[in-house]
Amino acid sequence: MNRALTAAGIWGLIVTAVLVSVPLALRDRLPDPLATHWSGAGPDNHMSFTQNLLFTVAMALVALAIMVGVALHGKAFERRLSRAYWWGFLVGWGLFVIGMELSIVYSNLDVSDWTRARPLGWGVAATMAVAAAGGVLAGYLLRGAPDQAPEPGEAPPRLRLKAGQRSVWVSRVSNAWLAALAVVSGVGALVLGVSTALGLMEGAASGLLGVSVILLVAGLLTSSATVRITQDGVAMGFGPLGWPVRRIRLSKIESAWSEVRHPSQVGGWGLRGVPGMAAIMLRGGDCLVLRYHSGGQLVVSIDDAARGAALLNALLAERVGR
Amino acid sequence: MLLTLDLNDPRPLHEQVAGAIRRAIGDGSYAAGDRLPPARDLADALGINANTVLRALRELRDEGLLEFRRGRGVSVAGVPTGRALIVQRARDLLEEAKKYGYSRDDLIDVLKELP
Repeated sequence: MNRALTAAGIWGLIVTAVLVSVPLALRDRLPDPLATHWSGAGPDNHMSFTQNLLFTVAMALVALAIMVGVALHGKAFERRLSRAYWWGFLVGWGLFVIGMELSIVYSNLDVSDWTRARPLGWGVAATMAVAAAGGVLAGYLLRGAPDQAPEPGEAPPRLRLKAGQRSVWVSRVSNAWLAALAVVSGVGALVLGVSTALGLMEGAASGLLGVSVILLVAGLLTSSATVRITQDGVAMGFGPLGWPVRRIRLSKIESAWSEVRHPSQVGGWGLRGVPGMAAIMLRGGDCLVLRYHSGGQLVVSIDDAARGAALLNALLAERVGR
Repeated sequence: MLLTLDLNDPRPLHEQVAGAIRRAIGDGSYAAGDRLPPARDLADALGINANTVLRALRELRDEGLLEFRRGRGVSVAGVPTGRALIVQRARDLLEEAKKYGYSRDDLIDVLKELP
């Protein structure tokens, strides 16, 4: 982690040096104020040279401070995926701010007045592409060693099952914040929908309507979840209605255990990751981890996970024994 | 919540479910104030009718072990959960004693003889 903090410091210095030196070196060829915002028709907003300089440096440094805070918080570096996210965002954001600054300087170069600034054109696309590519590359190169598998000597917890008994495990988890998000976006969607229908709003408002409906659905689905473990396998229900349901057959699962995981280790709240290393993360803390025969893993944040893992391992052993 | 049903148990199913929930609360997986999973999920996992589970939950509410609250679902009431486990074990013991021809009073005598 110290290596990461040193690297973050050096990267911050490089980014700040570029952000300060390039506009200063070209100051004689730039108008003051500078065009800093464009719409379809041309530049539509401006800032003084100093304001723009401070603004871009602040954009870079505030993000850097947040990333350092995340690193110092400690948990971000325990997992490969979160290390990849950290490095990716650190590098990607720095490149994005530099690209933005260079685009602004290029568009304002050698024009007499900010209203005459050239359109941004490909600069925006190039900035996005370079930032994304740089971020992905940094995340890939610096993700570090793979996460440690559970110690080979350590037997996973297992419950004793008696003949003639049926044991099942049911647990639920909910997140009040995600539920609140769903309620707020639901109200937003309703207001926007009614206003659009009555013709009070148009254009941009309709775009917002789409966003709030997406937030509503995402918030509802991740506000709560239930997990059921039976001899048929694992069933996970999402949202207050417990629907949709994801079912995993016992034959696909190799073993299970419980572990403490946090949203910062899997990239945030909700449904995270890609198949094979996915996480259903509704809150930090006790999580049920399933390992598939294919080598993949699924992490589900759920209460009472240790008992669930013990039952699942017992059911798996019984299956093999039969 | 880990629930275990004995498939050879002759007692009515709702009593068995109530017993399983008592044991689950008693062994410490739920503390006072914790919410239980929805009855529908419990029924689905056990492969029984949701009304059977609801009947068991109502029995436990009448016993004072559970609380039903509008909008908050079913939660564990503020009683010492260890007692729930003892009550359940006593019930099981009584059942077992009857099987071998011992009455309730015989069982009480056995308990009194214990050091």
